[in-house]
Amino acid sequence: MNAIKLWYHKLGSPPYFYVFAGYIQPWLWTIAAVLAVAGLYGGLVLAPADYQQGDAFRIIFVHVPAAWMSLFIYGVMAVSAFIAVIWRPKMAEVLAMESAPIGAAFTLIALVTGSLWGRPTWGTYWTWDARLTSELVLLFIYLGVIGLYHAFEDPRQGARAASFLAMVGAVNLPIVHYSVVWWNTLHQGTTVRYFGPSSIAPSMLWPLLAMTIAAKFYYGASLMQRSRVSLLSLERGKDWVADIVRGEPTHG
Amino acid sequence: MMNASPDSQPTPIDVRGLVYERRDERVFGPLDFTVEARTIALVEGDNGSGKTTLLRVIAGLLRASAGEARVFGSAPGSDEARAGTASLGHLLGLKGDLTPRENLHLGMGLYGCKPGEDPDAMLCRVGLEGFGDEPVRTLSAGQKKRTALARLALLPARLWLLDEPYANLDRHGIALVNDLLAVHAAAGGAALVTSHGAVSFHQGVACTIRLTP
Amino acid sequence: MAAAFRAMLQRDLLLAWRRRGDALLPVLYAVMVATLFPFALGPEHTLLARISGGVVLVTVLLSMLLSLDAVFRGDLEDGALEYLVLAPQPLALLVAARMLAYWLVTALPLIAVAPLLAYMLGLEGPAQPVLLLALLLATPLLALIGSVLTALTVGTRRSGMLLALMLLPLAVPIVIFAAGAVGAAQQGLPWVAPVAWLAAALALAVVLAPLACATALRIALDS
Repeated sequence: MNAIKLWYHKLGSPPYFYVFAGYIQPWLWTIAAVLAVAGLYGGLVLAPADYQQGDAFRIIFVHVPAAWMSLFIYGVMAVSAFIAVIWRPKMAEVLAMESAPIGAAFTLIALVTGSLWGRPTWGTYWTWDARLTSELVLLFIYLGVIGLYHAFEDPRQGARAASFLAMVGAVNLPIVHYSVVWWNTLHQGTTVRYFGPSSIAPSMLWPLLAMTIAAKFYYGASLMQRSRVSLLSLERGKDWVADIVRGEPTHG
Repeated sequence: MMNASPDSQPTPIDVRGLVYERRDERVFGPLDFTVEARTIALVEGDNGSGKTTLLRVIAGLLRASAGEARVFGSAPGSDEARAGTASLGHLLGLKGDLTPRENLHLGMGLYGCKPGEDPDAMLCRVGLEGFGDEPVRTLSAGQKKRTALARLALLPARLWLLDEPYANLDRHGIALVNDLLAVHAAAGGAALVTSHGAVSFHQGVACTIRLTP
Repeated sequence: MAAAFRAMLQRDLLLAWRRRGDALLPVLYAVMVATLFPFALGPEHTLLARISGGVVLVTVLLSMLLSLDAVFRGDLEDGALEYLVLAPQPLALLVAARMLAYWLVTALPLIAVAPLLAYMLGLEGPAQPVLLLALLLATPLLALIGSVLTALTVGTRRSGMLLALMLLPLAVPIVIFAAGAVGAAQQGLPWVAPVAWLAAALALAVVLAPLACATALRIALDS
């Protein structure tokens, strides 16, 4: 327990985090790339075509991981935002704020791939399906957080305000989803089954899992890289940054 | 102020190693000082030396980066600290569409009122008789300042945090501020007052805190 | 504490009264937006009647969005906001008084004009009182949630568009339930459930939103 606490405090210090992130970052990139190549090969080449949807279903190997990541990253962001608002450590602010653009990107990917899949399946790029609509609202929440963060002159103040907004959004998300589902049934709209992973062949499952884990590692790698850049900017007055700028070997 | 005050009330301001940094750049500090009851403390320094920031930290609007400030024994901005403190900032916080009298009543509604004080009498005292029912936005800068001073003097707060109270005031106005401060201190109050030093200050000042950029 | 709440409410109502012309602007805006729909869609009665409830709700939402931006701006610019934060009173209580005054001054006139707009678009019969009820629950909810977001943008310079971006996702469930209730009433279906959800959300927001708003104001002022 004490070791974990010590590690937490160490990681909370920007110079230590900078070195740590620089050290694990190549590993994260490598794992993400290997898994993504394997997953894409398995999904796009090895897996057989769907007997109903033909090759169109193959987009789930991008869409489903992206949709899962859009929620997963929001969860990570909300937790760091909560820590940032209550205890105000700089690292939690950085992690929450640097998660937001990555989460927004995954949300956008999920939306675009979802509508690309919708064209051959539903005959239209966009339907007001409950999940697509929820995903769209999620994108708005991400954009609101990012917009609020950049609206402040002082980045730390902006991070705290945007973190608070992320917490409000976390409370709101389940309500949005519930209300959108209700709205969908009320207007007896599209009853098309979305990708239900109810029965999925193993030849499709492992590429999907590989892509999901690849997305997680990509997020980790991207977050580390973004956080390092953000730290350099936030701590530009500090000695350790000056050391790095002068090219002294702080980097591990 | 050398003799310890017999009443067991906590010290109005007690500051130990107080530092404030904005974006990792030090604005002031480390500062150590105390302001006892019946004392007026003057904060001196050039423009940009952090006088206003110091007042905002002690008021609880900004969080100190290091060190500790205690206001009546509690953290700045806590319920106990706010209950005994009244501020006067660069922005006076008067509503332009309300009259001075309505502004005073608003202040009393939010901060309470010192027993035995009357808003109309206070308006006369600060030299605003006859202006009590004009909208504040039609008054001159000096008259607005006097309105804010009248509001300050009505409140029951024992600690005053005054940011440049002499700005915009004529000679009589400056005398009025010194007079209000003297009465406040004599009644057991304390005050922390900033000034860029251009005004000759009255002799009631017990200690001076000098800020260097 | 009750005295402070009263003083704050009195202040805001008095200020609104001194500038009573301003209270008409959101109403005029709502009338204008609602009038544009028949021009855009054609005067066909059945179509307009079907969308009337939703159009009125969205119009009211947009009007409130425009006026929400100014809720704390005046107090920020003349410094009164700091005096409110520093007052020896619970800030949430003062914020609650501020939002009550805002609702009375901005939302009540909109609610008053909404049935007229809905009628002009062809909303008739039992759906009219449901619309009124939905507005009576949805507008304070929007005001309370909006106050939290407005407080967060207090420290920024340009906040109008940003506020819209922040508020719209949060307004989605409110619009869905309020318009859903009106639509159900129009079709003769039960409409109590969505209204009950709105009422429950409002009860929760009355307690939580002022506290959240006070926290947000402290974050936005601490620079």
